[in-house]
Amino acid sequence: MLRDPLLAALFWSAVTIGAYALARLAHRRWRAWWTSPLLTTPLLVGAAALSLHTGYADYIRGTHWLVLMMGPATVAFAIPIYEQRALIRSHWPVLAVGVMVGSALSMSTAFLLADLMGLSQQLQLSLMPRSTSTPFAVAIAQDLGGTPDLAAVFVIATGICGAALGEVVMKAMPLRSSLARGALLGMGAHGAGVAKAHQIGGEEGSVAGLVMVLAGLFNVLMASAVAALLR
Amino acid sequence: MRIGIRSTKARHTAPNQRFPAVFRPGRAGMLHLMLRNMRHMLHRSMIAQIGVLAVFWVLGEAIVRVSGLPLPGGIVGMVLVLALLASGRVRPIAVRRGAGWLLAEMLLFFVPAVMAILDHRELMGLVGLKVAAVIIAGTVMVMGGTALAVDLAWRWRMRGERNAA
Repeated sequence: MLRDPLLAALFWSAVTIGAYALARLAHRRWRAWWTSPLLTTPLLVGAAALSLHTGYADYIRGTHWLVLMMGPATVAFAIPIYEQRALIRSHWPVLAVGVMVGSALSMSTAFLLADLMGLSQQLQLSLMPRSTSTPFAVAIAQDLGGTPDLAAVFVIATGICGAALGEVVMKAMPLRSSLARGALLGMGAHGAGVAKAHQIGGEEGSVAGLVMVLAGLFNVLMASAVAALLR
Repeated sequence: MRIGIRSTKARHTAPNQRFPAVFRPGRAGMLHLMLRNMRHMLHRSMIAQIGVLAVFWVLGEAIVRVSGLPLPGGIVGMVLVLALLASGRVRPIAVRRGAGWLLAEMLLFFVPAVMAILDHRELMGLVGLKVAAVIIAGTVMVMGGTALAVDLAWRWRMRGERNAA
């Protein structure tokens, strides 16, 4: 049945969207980190792919259009950023400090910890852009010499982990400002963190969204410098 | 009063309504009316708004390809929309619903990329655990460090403002 590419594309798109809809229902019901659609949807789709003996190449051929939707979604960030322009105008130095410290930390911790664990250089380089959102991370991994599709997997693992641990870290620290709470989630867990931050509060959500975009831009700029250093 | 409100609403929601015989708009008037109707349609239709955002993404991709900027096309498109919003030519309401939907369902667009793990079975074993350890420890450090830096910078600025006042 799945020999026909059009049917296969329809089938895998339907499986992915259906699994996502189920995961979202479950998340609305239990509201815990282990019901995050970022974790449960890939598990469901992966189980389907393994039981039907479908490889990544066959799967992505039919679902690539969903990945492309990330482009318009990135454009959509213009709206919350524009609506919070007053907040940004009055606090931009603070946000800039957060983005610079966070980006430097994310690249250096990935590099050093991967070294400590004795991981291969390919994995190390693919781990370095993991705190930026996927479109940036793929560009940066190419720049550094890592593997773009592995980088995308690590980015999403970071998102799940950050959304799960964000509130724990937040409670452990004496944070006074909504800026710090938003920056923590936007820097540490990009898209998943922004979604979490919107649940905490409107200000936290827009700060997180802005920090995510700025961190991506700053990482792209930093990556070419880091790539030159590594060579 | 209520009837008045309802009647203006009816005029907005029925763009194809016939004009009264006395009112014959010229060509410029027709064009204006058409544009206004299109704007009303855009304000109500989420799919049309997603289409508009997608057009800006394609535009961004084209700019990146022509100019060779090292940025994702979506970001260039976002900057274009921000510039239009800041110039006042476009109001946020024109794309707010479409943008809201895209941002709310963004996690779905991540899922196919995760499936790349199907081709990397080596990550299922010890190496995978090591990678997970790097990600968990690194993420906690990034989140803690960022929040600390932002909070310190914020307190420092607040103190400066209080001293100045």
